[in-house]
Amino acid sequence: MRKYLSKRILSSLLAITGLFVMVFFLARLTGDPGHLYLPIDAPVEVRKEFSEKHGFNDPIYIQFGRFLEDLSEGDLGYSLRKERPAIDIVLEAIPVTLSLAAVAMTIALLGAILIGSLAAYKPNGLFDRISRVVSLTAASAPDFWIAITAILVFSVSLGWLPTSGIGGLPYWIMPIGILVIRPLGLLVQVVRGSMITALSSDFVKTARAKGVKEKKVIFKHALRNGLLPVITVAGDQAAAIANGAVIVETIFGWPGIGKLMIDSIMQRDFAVVQASILVTAIVILSINIIIDIAYAILDPRIRHK
Amino acid sequence: MKIKSLSLAISSAAIMAFGSFLSPAYSAGKDITIVIAEEPDIVDPCEATRSVVGKIVKQNVTETLTEINPADGSVTPRLATSWKQTDNLTWEFNIRKGIKFHDGEDLNAKSVVKSINRALNPKYDCEIRTKFFGNIKLKASATGSHTISVKTETPQPIMPAMMGTMTIVSPNTQEAKGVRDPKGTGPYLFNTWTPGQSVTLKRFDGYWGDKPEVENATYVWRNESAVRAAMVKTGEADIAASIGVQDANDPKMDFSYFNSETSRLRIDITRAPLNDIRVRKAMNLAVDLDGLMGTIFPKGVVKMTQIVVPSINGHNPTLKPWPYNPAEAKKLVKAAKADGVPVDKEIVLIGRLGIYPNSTEAMEAMHAMLTEVGFNIKIKMMETAGWLNFLSRPYAEDRGPALQQSQHDNNNGDAVFSMFNKYACKGAQSTTCDKQVDAWITEATAAIGDKRRDTWRKAQKKLHEEIIPDVQMFHMVGFSRVNPRIKFTPTISTNSEIQISQVKFN
Repeated sequence: MRKYLSKRILSSLLAITGLFVMVFFLARLTGDPGHLYLPIDAPVEVRKEFSEKHGFNDPIYIQFGRFLEDLSEGDLGYSLRKERPAIDIVLEAIPVTLSLAAVAMTIALLGAILIGSLAAYKPNGLFDRISRVVSLTAASAPDFWIAITAILVFSVSLGWLPTSGIGGLPYWIMPIGILVIRPLGLLVQVVRGSMITALSSDFVKTARAKGVKEKKVIFKHALRNGLLPVITVAGDQAAAIANGAVIVETIFGWPGIGKLMIDSIMQRDFAVVQASILVTAIVILSINIIIDIAYAILDPRIRHK
Repeated sequence: MKIKSLSLAISSAAIMAFGSFLSPAYSAGKDITIVIAEEPDIVDPCEATRSVVGKIVKQNVTETLTEINPADGSVTPRLATSWKQTDNLTWEFNIRKGIKFHDGEDLNAKSVVKSINRALNPKYDCEIRTKFFGNIKLKASATGSHTISVKTETPQPIMPAMMGTMTIVSPNTQEAKGVRDPKGTGPYLFNTWTPGQSVTLKRFDGYWGDKPEVENATYVWRNESAVRAAMVKTGEADIAASIGVQDANDPKMDFSYFNSETSRLRIDITRAPLNDIRVRKAMNLAVDLDGLMGTIFPKGVVKMTQIVVPSINGHNPTLKPWPYNPAEAKKLVKAAKADGVPVDKEIVLIGRLGIYPNSTEAMEAMHAMLTEVGFNIKIKMMETAGWLNFLSRPYAEDRGPALQQSQHDNNNGDAVFSMFNKYACKGAQSTTCDKQVDAWITEATAAIGDKRRDTWRKAQKKLHEEIIPDVQMFHMVGFSRVNPRIKFTPTISTNSEIQISQVKFN
């Protein structure tokens, strides 16, 4: 297992290096940041002077050399827009997104396990049918529309919740609610499917024959086996949120990494693009490694390989 | 039945309790909250001409030497009490006495000169320099304790108006780098900035002018217009500086105002078939502007006849908008075709996503109307970055005929901030070149008073009637939502500044 993990971490590091180099070159293919930084009416001479001063008109290999030199000193660059070290800006944004992702995924996972297991207990029963319709609807729900509608209902009409912003519990309810909907819908489907398979397995029949209580059969014996595909999907969903819950961040005014990444790409703020992709890639690769570990814990065959 | 009623009562009580427990905080007392569309990336006053920075710091934290009256474009005193032109190249400004910066420094000739030099330092890409002073060589010097002279290499007759963009900061402000805690002389101190969340301003008790009513102002930002509008509706905010027309649905709270923007399709008149004047006339005759007003564009927009709005010096009020006459347009296209003009050639309509509300729908409508009279138009909608590649010089040599969706903002009092860039032969965004118009632009730029105004008007008339470098559309309107607990009337300036000292409580 340790060998496997070391290999996994090493390959992840190589992937991050490749991604980082690729982002450097692709970002520069989008054009000169001066076009977006300077006012539309800036004279041609000012544009030239800007590009020269910041080295944007140097050949790309020279820019890359300069970038490597800075990187060797641990410097990820300076934001052209915010006039601050890019890494500081990214490190302010990532905890916001990670906290959203952690809370949303915990709720979605627990909810899905409960609803999916109960639905699988009596396939095609009333609860199963209702949960299937609701979860399918949730899995295909348009975030943007739901978010705006939720604001109009819960903030404007009922006055229960703040429209947006960061603060105590009330400020978390709508953003988390929106973030939970899709993964919950998806995970309920996955839990239901894998639990139906698990509940019809021989080991479950044996447990029942031995008189093990039904609750224990479902939530201990069957669930442990049924969780493997759930973890894969949950990991993907968590990575997607960590990659930026852009809609929620934009609508509710949460200054997370998704919005920062989009803004910096649109503004050609290269240093911030690079730093945010680097940090996000590390987070996503870490999630993947955690999934691998969880797999090994749940499935002894992987552990013993 | 009883049980049912009881459960209903309990549920209602629970819902009410839940609601009151969660109720958000509302603006109250003498504090206000302003919601703007985006977070500032920097708050240096030298960037105050950028609307996101200007709305926070301009005339609140830092003040300018002069101010431009939004109603008529006239120049009024602010930190300078008076000014005069001492020779063709030199202006003298008298600075108000007895004023202190927020950090205790005195406002005097030396501090003003230092502030001007900081803004014009080529090591700092501040927008005041890059937008307004990029082509001007200027030397400011103190000629008395509270008098400065501003000398330029070429005549700058509207220097007093240009000083309406020059924000004055404390002499202790660091050079060649943007600051995150600006110190000026304005009625508000820059108090806090929590990145990603808010900026707060606090009333400056040592302010030289009238004491404002608002004690503290908090700026927050939300990208979505619907959210900004909802925040004022619920009382979480007092001013939503800009909301979309679709969200301006409450006549008690919503204001529409001319926002100094003018929208048009720029015609690249160097490329066939657009180099034929009949084609350009036909394009203007083909557009049913009345049909667009109150549908794709808001009701209050005004048909444009020139690039500047009526309150700007140099606007020519005698010009008439193009009528809608598709039959005449078809005739012109036919006549051009008969003379060998390639009117069937594909013309690219370069649009920009989100340049104004319904921008894509507007381009689809323009496409339909231009196609209707016989043109072969292809729409290309782009993000800002891609769209900018086509907007300014140097243009691609091998480009084809194109129309470009554009919007221009000038609330700086004079047509000079528009005309050279848009219509001079060497203008950064000009796709037209006429010697007479060029000569008038040069002449008006150097002139003052009636001569300046009349020269601009001559240039506007020739462009409108003889050159036709645009498919003319509208002078635009913006919408703001204001909480009824305060008195604040948005103006043409609201796009670029929100003077909190003008906010009163009902």
